[in-house]
Amino acid sequence: MSSSNQQPETPSNDIQDWQSMFAEWAKDAPEGPLREYYRAGMVAPTTPLKDTPLLALDLETTGLDSKNDEIISLGLIPLSLERIRCQGARYWMAKPERSLHAESVTIHEITHAELSEAPALKDILDEILVALTKQVVVVHCVAIERQFLLEASLKVYGFPFYFPVLDTMDIERQAQYRPWWKRFGKAPSLRLDACRQRYKLPRYKAHHALTDALSSAELLQAQAAYHLDPTANISDYWI
Amino acid sequence: MEVELTEILEALCQHAPFEEISDDPQLNDMAKEIEIQYLRAGSNVITPDSLNNTLYFIRSGAIENLSKEEKLIRRMNEGELFGYSSLLRGGKSSQFMRTIEDSLLYLIPARWFLKLYEENDTFSDFFELAREVRLRMAMDSQSSDVSLMTCPISSLLRRAPISIHKDENIRSAAQLMTEKHVSSLLITDNDELIGIITDRDLRTRAIAEGLSYDTPIADIMTSDPVIMDSQDYASEVVLKMMEKNVHHIPIIKNGQPIGVINTGDIVQKESHGSVYLISDIYRQNTIEGLQSISNKMTHTFTQLVVADANTQMIGNAMSHIGTAFVKRLLQLGEEKFGPAPIPYCFIALGSQAREEQTIKTDQDNALILSNKYNEEIHGAYFESLSDWVCQHLDKCGYTLCTGDIMASNTLWRQPLDVWKDNFSDWIQKPKAEALLRLSIFFDLRGVYGDKTLAKQLNQHIRNQAKQHPSFLTFMARNANQRKPPLGFFRQFVLDGEGKQSRTFNLKERGIAPIIDIVRVHALACGSDKLNTFERLEDIDAAGLLPDGRAKDLALALEMIAMVRIRHQKDQIEAGEVPNNHVNPEHLSSFEKRHLRDAFNIVERQQEFIKFRYAGKRS
Repeated sequence: MSSSNQQPETPSNDIQDWQSMFAEWAKDAPEGPLREYYRAGMVAPTTPLKDTPLLALDLETTGLDSKNDEIISLGLIPLSLERIRCQGARYWMAKPERSLHAESVTIHEITHAELSEAPALKDILDEILVALTKQVVVVHCVAIERQFLLEASLKVYGFPFYFPVLDTMDIERQAQYRPWWKRFGKAPSLRLDACRQRYKLPRYKAHHALTDALSSAELLQAQAAYHLDPTANISDYWI
Repeated sequence: MEVELTEILEALCQHAPFEEISDDPQLNDMAKEIEIQYLRAGSNVITPDSLNNTLYFIRSGAIENLSKEEKLIRRMNEGELFGYSSLLRGGKSSQFMRTIEDSLLYLIPARWFLKLYEENDTFSDFFELAREVRLRMAMDSQSSDVSLMTCPISSLLRRAPISIHKDENIRSAAQLMTEKHVSSLLITDNDELIGIITDRDLRTRAIAEGLSYDTPIADIMTSDPVIMDSQDYASEVVLKMMEKNVHHIPIIKNGQPIGVINTGDIVQKESHGSVYLISDIYRQNTIEGLQSISNKMTHTFTQLVVADANTQMIGNAMSHIGTAFVKRLLQLGEEKFGPAPIPYCFIALGSQAREEQTIKTDQDNALILSNKYNEEIHGAYFESLSDWVCQHLDKCGYTLCTGDIMASNTLWRQPLDVWKDNFSDWIQKPKAEALLRLSIFFDLRGVYGDKTLAKQLNQHIRNQAKQHPSFLTFMARNANQRKPPLGFFRQFVLDGEGKQSRTFNLKERGIAPIIDIVRVHALACGSDKLNTFERLEDIDAAGLLPDGRAKDLALALEMIAMVRIRHQKDQIEAGEVPNNHVNPEHLSSFEKRHLRDAFNIVERQQEFIKFRYAGKRS
């Protein structure tokens, strides 16, 4: 279903219409899970934020370079502005094709042994796509997640995987924005933990994909309570 | 892939009751069904007359619990649960739960709460609606692992008693004691216990007196010795020894002596030596000697606490020690100023009279003189004696009373008839303000001299109080003056008005209100007891309180007084001067939870006496 009075084929620069874009990609994507994902569609840009199905996501990777590094775990947790639902939480580990850097092992607390028994990413990507179907993804710092999933999709399906995102880092940047003449001292930190502290959210151990997904889900609820309009269109916020 | 919400589970399991049941594998399944909600300050989570289907866990932030009329009931913070009261009543809520800070809440489905409540006793105990039950179990579990203080006397007996017939002579008694390695012998006549003789008796009453070895033992024995029943607690032996200043007590079972307990048996079990301390007091002939003993008292006190004595035993022991100081000083005073020209009774007031003294206490005392008193003839003597005793009590650590309620004050040194008139006046024409100051006089115990004077006065007070119900109305109203705190919030003490403070006076806000409540009931039922626990037994027997309420008050007092005593012990050990000011930061979560329950009982009992003795409107 498209939003009524708008021209469906070319979404304007102002309003991100993921629904129309999904319809386009559904035509071009190769037959298979990715096409199914696009074909299922996306909520209309006029959907109020409070009614939008949201899914917090976090990836852990072997490094920061999406060309050379790989996804080793992925956590998902569904939420609305009212509730985070542990019941729908999902978690996957993926065995990297190249060996794991020693230093990232210490960051993630995932052991070589655990990973050596995990399936390869290509074998779980289908499942992940099903889980993400018709959901707007919540992440902290969109670049990493989008880049890594794009690379994975190109590699596995030969076609790009794009998805709408509420970026809690971006929301925080705007919430903390001060014009230059009002800026004072150091710019506020936008790290996940620093943002959470601003809303008096508890400290969590970082670098577990599911915990970090939960962290950004809680942060989004807090940001919504302070800065977002639950009745505004999702298109005001998604990127 | 198995989803493990470790962050959530770990947070839950850091707090009671999940902490206690953290090994229950179901918790992981429960965690998977938790929902999470972030709320800004000032949001209602639960409202009256709504249906609640959630057990809430405060992950961060704080919640205020308000009545339907928006009166503050309690404040809760991280790690606390709410919503369970309505779940236990089928979901219908009657109060407000409102965030007072930005809060992150974990929402546990009612189904899980009810399942755990049903299946797990540890879990359900935590939520037990009857707080009194919770308090009772807490006190019981605390006292389960103790020593001498709770074991029966029989467990201390090591051998059958050695006895000798009353017609045997001193020499054969000494021979028998040597042969059997005992320090005392029971004296019998026709197999009946008629007396006791100890090593010391042989020394002081026979050898030192130069008696013939052929003297019958009956001549130097102590007749009708202090005895105790084998069912009594070992701790009671200690108190009895202190009270009567004896070192050997025959233990009786079914009318027959089955052994003798001596101080050695006690000291072997514990080292505080309060029994020895008392006989030490009586041996002192100088004020310096008494002072040096008073310095040892803190040690005795801490030892009693460490030995897990309950507050009644400690109060008893400290009061007996206090009384020994008074008695010894009066004996020394009578040596100095000569014997008293007329009978008199030195009376203890307040905590010493109730036998509820602790370590840090000032003196409250007075003098009842015989009605033969003549100011001109006897005035100077009693003034000198009283001044001297009060000043020296001060030197022994019993500081002078700031309200000047002491025998050294002429006002409180009166013939019996004047005392009676005073009390008649206070009781018949009660004035709230004055009574507040005078309540201490209604706990009055004769400690030295002609104790019948104190008995007569107490009898007079009981008669008067019974005949004048309006007096009880005033006392009940006064007993409502000092309100216990509502509870705790983080490191603060929380008042009914929502005021938060760093410390609070446990005596003023917890112990005194209970004593006041109990005193009113005790006067109403004409109890002749002074000790609050003993008064409660009389009150219970008289049926003045609904079933179980007397026991609740006793438990509340025990709980609060125990926290105070431990606090004072900690202060002593830290080299500080012990006081009654407790900082919630130093309380365990166990203590906070149960103190709150205890305060709750006190508050309700305060309400109760207001109506129970409401009387006519004045």
